[in-house]
Amino acid sequence: MRKCFTKFILLLGALIIQIEVQAQTPVDAIMMKKREFCVAAAYDHGSWDHYWEGRYLRTNGNIGTLTRTTVMPMVAFGLWDRVNLLASLPYVATRSSGGQLAGVSGLQDLSLFVKATVYEREFGSAKGSVLAVGGFSRPVSNYLSDYQPYSLGLGTTEWNARAIAQYRLGMGLYVRGSVAYLHRGNTRAERDYYYANGSYYTNLMDVPNAWTYQGALGIWLINEDLKLEATYTSQRSMSGDDIRAYNAPQPTNRVDIDQLGGSIQYYPPFVKGFGVFANTSQIVNGRNMGKFINFGVGATYQFSL
Amino acid sequence: MNTFRNFLVSLILSLLVFSCKNELPILSDYSAYEYAGTDANGGTWKPILLTIPDQIAIPVPDAINSAAYQAELAEVVTATQSLTKTQGEAVAYWTNNPTLRWNEISLEMAAKYNLIPGPNADGTYTLPDPANPNNKPYFPFAHPAYTCRALAYLSVAQFDGLIASWHYKYTFNRPAPKLSNASVNASYASNNLPTYPSDGAVIAVISRDILTAMFPLEKEFLDQKAAEHLASLKWAGENVESDITAGTTIGVEMAKIALARASSDGMKKAQTPKPVSDSIKGAAFDRFGWQWDNLETPVRPVGLAPLFGNVRLWNVPNVETVRPGPPPAIGSPEFQKDADELIDIADHLTLEQRKIANWWQDGLGSYTPPGHWNRFAKEYIIEAKMNPLRTARVFAYLNMAIMDGGISCWDTKYFYHYPRPIQTIPGFKTIMGTPNFPSYTSGHSVFSSSAAEVLSYFFPNDASQFTKWAEEAAMSRVYGGIHYRFDAEVGLAQGRDVAKYTVEVARLDGAD
Repeated sequence: MRKCFTKFILLLGALIIQIEVQAQTPVDAIMMKKREFCVAAAYDHGSWDHYWEGRYLRTNGNIGTLTRTTVMPMVAFGLWDRVNLLASLPYVATRSSGGQLAGVSGLQDLSLFVKATVYEREFGSAKGSVLAVGGFSRPVSNYLSDYQPYSLGLGTTEWNARAIAQYRLGMGLYVRGSVAYLHRGNTRAERDYYYANGSYYTNLMDVPNAWTYQGALGIWLINEDLKLEATYTSQRSMSGDDIRAYNAPQPTNRVDIDQLGGSIQYYPPFVKGFGVFANTSQIVNGRNMGKFINFGVGATYQFSL
Repeated sequence: MNTFRNFLVSLILSLLVFSCKNELPILSDYSAYEYAGTDANGGTWKPILLTIPDQIAIPVPDAINSAAYQAELAEVVTATQSLTKTQGEAVAYWTNNPTLRWNEISLEMAAKYNLIPGPNADGTYTLPDPANPNNKPYFPFAHPAYTCRALAYLSVAQFDGLIASWHYKYTFNRPAPKLSNASVNASYASNNLPTYPSDGAVIAVISRDILTAMFPLEKEFLDQKAAEHLASLKWAGENVESDITAGTTIGVEMAKIALARASSDGMKKAQTPKPVSDSIKGAAFDRFGWQWDNLETPVRPVGLAPLFGNVRLWNVPNVETVRPGPPPAIGSPEFQKDADELIDIADHLTLEQRKIANWWQDGLGSYTPPGHWNRFAKEYIIEAKMNPLRTARVFAYLNMAIMDGGISCWDTKYFYHYPRPIQTIPGFKTIMGTPNFPSYTSGHSVFSSSAAEVLSYFFPNDASQFTKWAEEAAMSRVYGGIHYRFDAEVGLAQGRDVAKYTVEVARLDGAD
């Protein structure tokens, strides 16, 4: 029951890499009981000094190192034992070490999720479960998605649907896999002509839809006070153009990502309902994406009504 | 709690449209229309490059009742009565004012090629090579100076070619195919324009040849576009084969005449080697005690087109005539006032200012400010239902004035060699990239007020709108943090001065 914050871990990673690998969706297989609340706060520092222009990995002296800092409050609520609601609203700040372009900061997108257990079965001491998550997010400030690579986010509504399957052994070892489809709308630029493999006479930009996949291997240790997890996550856009030679990215770009991550979570047995976590991730392969490395820390507190 | 309410509304709305993203427009929204007039005296208007309208000779056409013409007519009857889907789409695309489509194509070329060369691994820069356009970085880099020149040659050649076409049309008075054979299924509204030589063919061939010279890597694409356009003239029932052949002759020769001027207008020397660039910079430092430096990493050794100011002007007698006086000395109260304004704007940028800065940015990867003003012109031309000749006239004078404005602005930029705000204000950050050329005067301001001045002549009822746009374009650079207010305000006046020469030529060309 005190493990609520697992839900948020990878959600955070998503925001850090800007193009939401995790669709800002909880991707674990843990549920809270009815009328349980969990509040959490997470801080993340992501940066890159190389980025993929199309598939070409390069540097840019007028950006140097781009840094993206995220502070994200989150809340989750057990509507029923088998249905949870979650919400998050990150504050993001960006800056670069090179060049003269100004960084930006502000509230990004409000996300809401409904998470449900659709199947559970015990196999002796082992347990298998399948969960479904539906989510929606939308910008809450007037940040400019077209101000890449500094922009706070993609500036569009997103619907996402995710299926999660987990199999956990009695000794605490577990494997988990998930797949999600991210359906994005258009984002509004502040120009009414742009080039994306051809002319567009509109201020609307089609943000590509995407699939994400994740595989995780983890273990609970020390009487389930400590959890270690390693993940591989990927995103594949369904459409979009490449960043042109030495040109700025734009929200229409086809963004692909392969990312490795690891996290550790600790629930001190002497503080009821309280937990801390730390995580890191590295994008190892990408397209039209910064080669982000991220470090994050956070805390959660869980209570019942 | 408006945010929350908006959030809920958008949640519901986006549920409704979950799976249907609308197709976004990739073309200007217009279709064929009935011309407001045909300008029967158009053949008497004064051309820009041609000395006389029949300088390019075409054969006397066969008579309507000749067997040769009747055979051509029969071909058109057949073609128009059984259009395939593709042919029908081509007819709808090209319309009876294809000058607009070719202008649109030229803007897309500009946007496609407006990419600044990046550094090599060793920190040096390689410039595009017109002799080897396919070597990276590809030729051309269609920056604003390059683009305004491409548009000027395109539009001037189109205008002169159509004057020649109009001259012969009203000399030979060959009627439209439909008037000779009612079985012709014409796609466009009928007009009384004689069809020999085909104005559409003149436009197709001139546009193909000028744009191929300006964007050589697009040869195949442009050939295909022109071939489709030429074929569509028969599909639409506009022209018979000999109309198109004669129009092609005019087009080919007219493009050669325009490109001959282009090859000797000084553009080849505009991008100087470093020693020349350094001596220009040194001269400014000796004269004024300041110099603009590129602040990119790695530093670009030469600014953009330092000698574009020496390129041959269209209508201004010489570039010194329109060169403004010097900017405020750095550190002077006038300078400080405008520098402080930039800091204040950067610290308190409003949403409205940000939108203006971005809407006018027209930076790398875009069709540039000259392209933006061509787009405006297109919208007003369509609204006025101009015929192709009058359309070409607006573009010709517009783009001559814009190019003269660009030449004058570049002359001023490199004569004064004035540093940008990021160079004079320590730690200053901007919301758009600072271009690779000196600050004073602002290119956006000069391009825009030149354009506004010409459009105000052609569309006087909308003059206040054009002026407002030009002023907004000028201020957009201040909001963006890359120009001082004096760059913008002096640039606006400069553009007006430059354009007056072009408007004076337009006033006397016999059209109004």
